[in-house]
Amino acid sequence: MIEAIIAGLTALLTPQAMLFMLIGVVYGLVIGILPGLGGVVAMALLLPFTYGFETAATLALLLGAHIATIWGDSVTSILFSVPGSAKGLALCFDGYPMTQKGQAKRALAASATGALLGGIIGAIFLALCIPLIRPVILALGPSEYLMMALWGLTVIATFSEGSLMKGLTASVLGVLVAFIGMDVVTATPRFTFGSEFLMEGISFPVAMIGLFAVSEMMKLAIKGTPIVDRSLVKEESTVWQGVCDGFSHWWLVVRSSLLGLWIGVLPGVGASVAGLAAYAQAVQTSKTPERFGKGAVEGVIAPDATMGANEGGGLMPTLAFGIPGGESMAILLVAFIGLGVVPGPDMLTKNLDLVFSMVWIIVIANIAVTLIGLGITPWLARLPSLQANLMVPIVLAVCFVGAYATRGHIEDVVVAAVFGIVGYLMDKYRYSRANFVIGMVLAVMIERNLHISLTLYGKDFLLQRPIALAMLLFVLFTAALPFVRNWRRQRKQAAAAGVSAP
Amino acid sequence: MSRHAQENLASVLLLAFFAGVIVLCQDFGPRARMIPLPLAVFGIVLTLIQLVWHNFGSPAALQMEMISVRAPDIPVADAPSAPVKKPSWQREATAYGMVGVLLALTFATGVMPAAFLFTAGYFMLTRYCSWQYSLLYAAVLTGSLYLLFVVALQMQPYHGLLAPLFP
Repeated sequence: MIEAIIAGLTALLTPQAMLFMLIGVVYGLVIGILPGLGGVVAMALLLPFTYGFETAATLALLLGAHIATIWGDSVTSILFSVPGSAKGLALCFDGYPMTQKGQAKRALAASATGALLGGIIGAIFLALCIPLIRPVILALGPSEYLMMALWGLTVIATFSEGSLMKGLTASVLGVLVAFIGMDVVTATPRFTFGSEFLMEGISFPVAMIGLFAVSEMMKLAIKGTPIVDRSLVKEESTVWQGVCDGFSHWWLVVRSSLLGLWIGVLPGVGASVAGLAAYAQAVQTSKTPERFGKGAVEGVIAPDATMGANEGGGLMPTLAFGIPGGESMAILLVAFIGLGVVPGPDMLTKNLDLVFSMVWIIVIANIAVTLIGLGITPWLARLPSLQANLMVPIVLAVCFVGAYATRGHIEDVVVAAVFGIVGYLMDKYRYSRANFVIGMVLAVMIERNLHISLTLYGKDFLLQRPIALAMLLFVLFTAALPFVRNWRRQRKQAAAAGVSAP
Repeated sequence: MSRHAQENLASVLLLAFFAGVIVLCQDFGPRARMIPLPLAVFGIVLTLIQLVWHNFGSPAALQMEMISVRAPDIPVADAPSAPVKKPSWQREATAYGMVGVLLALTFATGVMPAAFLFTAGYFMLTRYCSWQYSLLYAAVLTGSLYLLFVVALQMQPYHGLLAPLFP
């Protein structure tokens, strides 16, 4: 194994591989910052340029670009509450309030450090877990995936803002919107009204552009002042503070990274779920959960560490079984075919040096992204103080072009505009947009796995799958936890009021 | 319209939406409606509870002291409060109109010309800068978008409904 580790690193230490990785990282950062475009687009566009080069260099280009998009996504979430893609959503919850408090530099640096540490921890654990992960993956089936998706939905309780009913209604709306289009299980067109465009369903990145970016620009146009008015709120934080935050919350980073690695290993779950799950576990395990949503640095570190580690985890099923852990890993599989590499159990025995090359790429690319990120943070942190009249038209124009570019359908621009207005109204009347998005993300996963479970095991599938049953109990426990906490807090307050009363 | 009435109107619209989903679900097979139908019924129940409580109950009864993720316009505790103008219905209508204009421009002229016209027009109308600079900034933005999306990312641009008029 040691030989494979060294051989993996040696293959990368060529000028071509290093140059390709640098190109990939810079390109990935630019793509990540653009709304609607994420790691999948970045890798897909690079694919035609990868044939005929060294294997390690090609992988460095593709994986380097993909890893850089993670932090690129985080940047716009933190600075403008505009997630570049679904992955960056969790960063809006605390990253944006930090920007509003004049701590943009700290938030960006903490995000970059969290992603770096998450990437490294994920890569190390990936290397250690390679022999162990195979039986674990094979033990899980659709019933267990269903329970994991349901666990994701219980996260909604954590994100309630004010009225619980409104929070739940928003999530129901999100799930229903995700059902627009052709039902993959029964091949039934649902809520399409005969439209060919709607058959493909609502594009998730386009909905995100509308719900967050367009609606935020509408709010900014109404407000008429910059996101951060420097005459009122000075930028008092430093990049170094953010770096220290990443290291001082080392236990949170380790927990989040392992969660990200685990979610990455599971085929089809995806990094968007990983970010939200990481945020939820950060809130649920915090001694001061009331700080979250108001600019807690832990709310930035946890999702980034998870997403950093997620990439390493995603490699596992892709390499070991040829089952892509997500869309980006599917593109990597295509690249493997072009390079003549056959994924499968042999990858973990005969081609172990190639596997370790990828582990090294994750580590080195993460270091490069963090160094570049920390270098440009002071300039990026100035963006939220730009005047509203400059920001609004530029961001809106980029969003509309981005919405169109996602699938090349002009109707997607209408979807972005409609979701923008819906997002604005939801925000105005306090129907959580986050809950809506979580509902959208998990809807298809829940429906597909429920149908498969029913077909395979019948109506009593839970009794036949003890792991799924145990997971259901865990889901019920985590769902009840916020309510119990709330009840305890109210009881404490009542007791305190009783003591202080004469 | 008062905020109370607006909230009620929002609830009524949601009820209509969920009722519409239930009606549409009747056309689907049992497996295709297995999740959307009960979910729409659940949505109606939630909205009715919200509506009843909003009008007849204590507003605090449905509040949960959990995590607020509505960061954008909540004044943060440590920050000094800014004297922000209260958004009037005119400002809100302008924001809707702004999105509508950009959408109309996109359909009429195509994605890239719309970006140019919208940004230049916005800068001029808000008097952010002189008309010469407005055109310059808009041209720089559109050029960058063109290079990124059309040249680098190989996006096929949409040319708009007016394109046949300019052969």
